[in-house]
Amino acid sequence: MTQSYEVFLGCAIPSRFNNYESSMRAVAKALDIGLIDFEGASCCGTVVLKSIDESSWLSMSGRNIALAEQRGHDIVTPCNGCFGSLKDTNHVLHEDALYRAKVNAALKPLGLEYTGKTKIRHFVEVLYDLRNEIEKKIVHRLDGLKVAFHPGCHLIRPSNVAGFDNPELPRKVDELIELTGAKSVHWDMKLRCCGSPLLIASESVAVKILQEKMISANGAGANCVVTNCPACHTQFDIQQLGLKDDAGNSLELPALFVTQVLGAAMGVEPEPLGFELNRVSLDPIRDILGI
Amino acid sequence: MTEVWGQFKSFQGKKFKALDVEFTKEVSNLIGGKDLTACFQCAKCSAGCPVSDKVNIQIHEVMRMLLFGLKEVLETDMVWLCSTCYTCQERCPQGIDITDILFGLKNMAFKKGITPAGYLGARQSLYDTGRLYEPTDWERDDLGLDPVPELNIEDTKKMLNKTKLMKLEEDE
Repeated sequence: MTQSYEVFLGCAIPSRFNNYESSMRAVAKALDIGLIDFEGASCCGTVVLKSIDESSWLSMSGRNIALAEQRGHDIVTPCNGCFGSLKDTNHVLHEDALYRAKVNAALKPLGLEYTGKTKIRHFVEVLYDLRNEIEKKIVHRLDGLKVAFHPGCHLIRPSNVAGFDNPELPRKVDELIELTGAKSVHWDMKLRCCGSPLLIASESVAVKILQEKMISANGAGANCVVTNCPACHTQFDIQQLGLKDDAGNSLELPALFVTQVLGAAMGVEPEPLGFELNRVSLDPIRDILGI
Repeated sequence: MTEVWGQFKSFQGKKFKALDVEFTKEVSNLIGGKDLTACFQCAKCSAGCPVSDKVNIQIHEVMRMLLFGLKEVLETDMVWLCSTCYTCQERCPQGIDITDILFGLKNMAFKKGITPAGYLGARQSLYDTGRLYEPTDWERDDLGLDPVPELNIEDTKKMLNKTKLMKLEEDE
């Protein structure tokens, strides 16, 4: 086994994007990454709870970290929202002794303590470490796939908390995608937020941001969008259905998870990749994917 | 915009009472607030903000209002239309944790009942179930995924009672 982690799924993946989880598990299996079920996890708190009450968010998120810590495991998550929330909590609790004391007071009756020993990683970070292994396993090249890769905000910003890639010129996941023969295209709106966190406050503003992103992706000649986050994917694979520009032209592009792209190129059996659950039609790229 | 949480729409014709130094101090004590007063209004935050062209009051204006101690800031649409993308914070030449400050402002606004309705439902769901969304079991069955591990909801409730999540609203 390369390495083992408790896998923190969060709420959005089991609810809307089970194909992300199953494709992640399939790719992990092919690369011999150990994924241990995360017993007793609550929601990460995410930016929603942080917006309502920071003390509650730190406690909820701190409890999740403390659970893995008690069992002596590190955490891996395929969700940018969970990654951001857990890393941010780690950051605050590390920097601020007052909040650490407050959170530990809330955790004590549960028999838990946060000390900060647990490492928190995004699944794509683990994949990037294994890029040489992935390269060796490519059996089905995806030549002709022109990817508008959307890294999402909380994977890369704030960079002193996320600590993964260059926040203004991220390239690591693009490198992984290009191992398959696909091309990660340059698009102006790549680093812009997908708008997903605004669905709760104003759907019209969220969709306007998505429209701006999709005009950019189409203009750059992409034939699909790839993400590594279920919150972003809510925009690209649900809100994007039927999306048009102001002149009425369709802006729809197939939306894939990075694990589906890698899985297809690594010759993972098709069932766990779950392509039949992708909502925006995959017809334009079916031949390239070999499905 | 008609949203109740965006009542402060313009500076035009507004008269402000004495500047409230205490409010500026209060915001400086928020998570990320320590460098608030270093803002020199370069507006780089607004230049990279995905909602700058969609709000009435932009993020650099919010920063100015904070320095002037204007509590009306909690009624601007920028507070709840911040998508939390952290671009402003990443780029601020003064190293101000702008996005984190906005989270603190959202907390303050929530206490005063200035919040989009969706957040009230989200709070209830987080308290009642410990989750925002429930698993879709038929999809998991089809894909051969195991059930999502159980959560002891009493544990999270105990904790959220302690942080008074369901009693945040200030008495008028």
